[in-house]
Amino acid sequence: MMMAALIRRPPPAASAAGRARMQAAAAVLGLILALVLAALWRDALPAWVVRPPKGWLFDLAGPVNRFLAWLSQEAAIGPVTVKGLTRGIASGFALPLDLLQGLLVKGIDLPLPGGTLRLAALPWWALAAAAAIFGHWVAGRRAAGLVLATCGYFLVLGLWEAAMQTLASVAVAVVVGAILGIALGAAAHRWPRLDAGLNLVYDVMQTLPVFSYLVPILLFFGFGPVAALIATVIYAMPPMARNTTLALRRLPASVMELASMAGCSPRQRLFLVLLPAARQGLLTGFNQLVMLSLSAVIIASVIGAGGLGNVVLQGLKSMQLGRAFEAGLGITLMAIVLDRLSHAVALRRPAHGNQRAGLRRHPALYGALAILVAGLAAAQTVPALRDFPEALTGSSGRTLDNFFAWANVALEAPIGAVRDGVVRHLFRPAKEALLALPWLAMAGLVAVLAYAASGAALALACTAMLGFIALTGYWDLAMTSLYLVGISTLIATLIGFPIGVLAAQGPRLGRITALVIDTLQTLPTFVYLIPVVMLFGLGDFPAMVAIVLFALPPAIRYPMDGIARVPKSLVEAADMAGCTRLQRLALVQIPQALPEIMLGLSQTILMAFGMLVITALVGTRGLEQETLVAVSKARVGEGLIAGLGISFLSIMADRLITHGSARLRRRLGQG
Amino acid sequence: MSDTSPIIRCQNVWKLYGPGAEALSGQSASRLDDAFLAARGLVPAVRDVTLDIRQGEIFVIMGLSGSGKSTLVRCMTGLVDTTLGDLWIGADNLRGIEAKRLVDIRRRRISMVFQDFALLPHLTVLDNIAFPLRVQGMGREARLKRARELAELVALTGREDRFPHELSGGQQQRVGIARSLTTDPEIWFLDEPFSALDPLIRHEMQDEFLRLQGTLHKTIVFITHDFEEAIRIADRIAIMHDGRVVQVDTPEGLILNPADAYVAEFTRKIPRHRVMRAGSLTRPAPAQTEGTPVPATALVADIAARVLASDRPVPVADEKGAIIGAVDRDRVIAAICGTDAA
Repeated sequence: MMMAALIRRPPPAASAAGRARMQAAAAVLGLILALVLAALWRDALPAWVVRPPKGWLFDLAGPVNRFLAWLSQEAAIGPVTVKGLTRGIASGFALPLDLLQGLLVKGIDLPLPGGTLRLAALPWWALAAAAAIFGHWVAGRRAAGLVLATCGYFLVLGLWEAAMQTLASVAVAVVVGAILGIALGAAAHRWPRLDAGLNLVYDVMQTLPVFSYLVPILLFFGFGPVAALIATVIYAMPPMARNTTLALRRLPASVMELASMAGCSPRQRLFLVLLPAARQGLLTGFNQLVMLSLSAVIIASVIGAGGLGNVVLQGLKSMQLGRAFEAGLGITLMAIVLDRLSHAVALRRPAHGNQRAGLRRHPALYGALAILVAGLAAAQTVPALRDFPEALTGSSGRTLDNFFAWANVALEAPIGAVRDGVVRHLFRPAKEALLALPWLAMAGLVAVLAYAASGAALALACTAMLGFIALTGYWDLAMTSLYLVGISTLIATLIGFPIGVLAAQGPRLGRITALVIDTLQTLPTFVYLIPVVMLFGLGDFPAMVAIVLFALPPAIRYPMDGIARVPKSLVEAADMAGCTRLQRLALVQIPQALPEIMLGLSQTILMAFGMLVITALVGTRGLEQETLVAVSKARVGEGLIAGLGISFLSIMADRLITHGSARLRRRLGQG
Repeated sequence: MSDTSPIIRCQNVWKLYGPGAEALSGQSASRLDDAFLAARGLVPAVRDVTLDIRQGEIFVIMGLSGSGKSTLVRCMTGLVDTTLGDLWIGADNLRGIEAKRLVDIRRRRISMVFQDFALLPHLTVLDNIAFPLRVQGMGREARLKRARELAELVALTGREDRFPHELSGGQQQRVGIARSLTTDPEIWFLDEPFSALDPLIRHEMQDEFLRLQGTLHKTIVFITHDFEEAIRIADRIAIMHDGRVVQVDTPEGLILNPADAYVAEFTRKIPRHRVMRAGSLTRPAPAQTEGTPVPATALVADIAARVLASDRPVPVADEKGAIIGAVDRDRVIAAICGTDAA
């Protein structure tokens, strides 16, 4: 009965759903037609319709520059200058960072009355052993093996110091991000009004290109690893805060009532009941915090954070691709290890076996600690135990460089043909079409779409955001960014959707796909640039490849999970109604999974924007390039405004799709 | 069995949800009719409830989902603020009570068992049971000692170091019960404590609950949607429907004199001899009776075999042992068959 209703909808429902579809299709066709006409007849239109005239533009960058300069240099709150305040905060962060870096890599100078005492850093063998023991304790033997292999990789290739520097930055950023994220997340849960405001701030924090806030941070906090640390926290903290709020909100009402009935004070309620009970959700956020921190620390090498990111950057700049590749692989390994371990911690459930006290409860932890202490002591007394013997290190060096050079030449012909063909027949026309559009037509289209998807509020917000981009004089650059993201999203979807649908057909296929996606998703954005530059050089085409690779996981995952999650009874009902596989897919599974598929699209676009920012490094030309140039030329205002442009574009795309899909679902009667 | 002095008193308690519900707290209750509420989009979860709960009794609030029973009990515990009316716990009126005083009442005088157990997943059985004491700042050794006693009381000895996810549903609720008893409260609220359990386990837990109450003598407010459960454990039952208390009576009183069709619908399926007591079947004693008297408070089900086997009526005695009449075979058969009550 139910199946029959699904396949052949009863007449009234069919006409309602059909009418909704027809109307939507007609509206989209009409809008496209209007745009095409507008583009074709742009010469006949008044000039101010095509581009805002010079007189309309306002110079925002200048005032922003002056304001920030004043704020960072002269402004004062009472007797305390803002500069003094921020520098104070910076040195507050610098202390733990220096300590950790000293412990892991550089050694520490202890100021004593009779001169300074130099403490050597922890030796490699103690760190590796302790890390392996810890890995074994949280995630088992295979994780311990992975940790050892990774340590070995860094040691043999002479990347140990760079890796430890990166690790120290990540560790401090994670601690700061976790404290801040939990505090903000708990506050948003306590005061729901705060939540809406914070969400908007997080949206901007997550979509604003890192490059555009590096310079303001330099301005306030000075140059060096601390600036990188603060940039990292801004970039990586929002998911921690969001997950905290979400996890607290998902707690059953009875847990809150229990806290009240036990007579908890507000502080007891938070620390004894709410946070521990929401532990799983917090740890999910923590895992994301770790991964994003690693990603950001690598990007931050642009402003001299040092570490593995710097090795990659120098390698790419001097075309020592072999070295860049080695360091990139190192970053990948580190990402996988950190993901494994933090994931294992997140999944850990207490069991009654390990409820013994002190040493007997966690023998592994105390063992690891003992090794670290012994290592530190040994390093002070026996210099030979400090460093990894240089005779054992090596680098593929020139060999790998030569291989890539050879591959470049050998593959130049086929790759070049593909690249040139795609650029000529797809990229250029798309870019020209987008640039040919009058800005008012584009703004009008977006406003109409926003109104249809959600209502007047969203339409107004979108118009304001597009107006900001146009009137600050960044329209052409924004369209250049948009075309690259648009094409990349399209390609990622065209590749990802069929794979996702296919992978959902069998559990084994699904497992393998999920494994590949999980690995792809642990990789920091930076890593994607390395092979792409090696194979395709610089420009829009390699940028597109990098974006597609980076944005592919959600394009595959959401359709796959959506289809796999269709209730089994519906699938069985479809089979019993005599559906062929294709009918079952087209009539039952895909329509049921539509919400997830749409969510996947918006995630794909957000990922594409995230990667776009980084592709500035391989020479794209949109807003993202402006933010990168702003870093090198220290143009604070320009970088911020161009960055806000990217942020606005991605927020608009996300809102349009999520609201549109919700509206569509309601009209199709899916909830 | 129960003292007559009330320990909880609800006087014209209202709880309204909807826009501007709080602002109505100064209103006179007489204006709150259906038309008034509908015009303002207000939903009455609890309407004009007045009842007394006596010291030491098991008071069951019975109603189907949406009848307001959960809201009413949350008003009694201060988890939800009442919109109108007074609600007294002993000498404290919960309306406008100071937060500090409420915390004090919750720490010492009342406690609650939850339908979904509400155990803290990161604590062991023992730490969960000791949790209310930890909140009060009691030292670890002392509170664990107390928790061990309670674990024994609810038959969880040997499982003290488990975590909640390592226990079955019935065991989890035993932890919930033990936790609610650690502070030795006067009033014990149980919000559908056995609804999430399988029927067999539920029955076993009801027995366990009655056994506990036999030694503890708490004042109990017990919420359920299961009329048979209510009949089984209650001294008195309040039946709720659409936010109103329709009838408050003993199980026997409900069966013999249902206030309206709604109550009668519940009582219809209940086997009467399991609820009715000998006293309500008693007629004036004839000249000839047989054997020793049965107490008037005995359930008909428990004396049926004897009455049916005897050729003459069986005498019935009150608490003091005085013969108040006799019960005969016809009456018992009528009660069992449900053909005629009195």
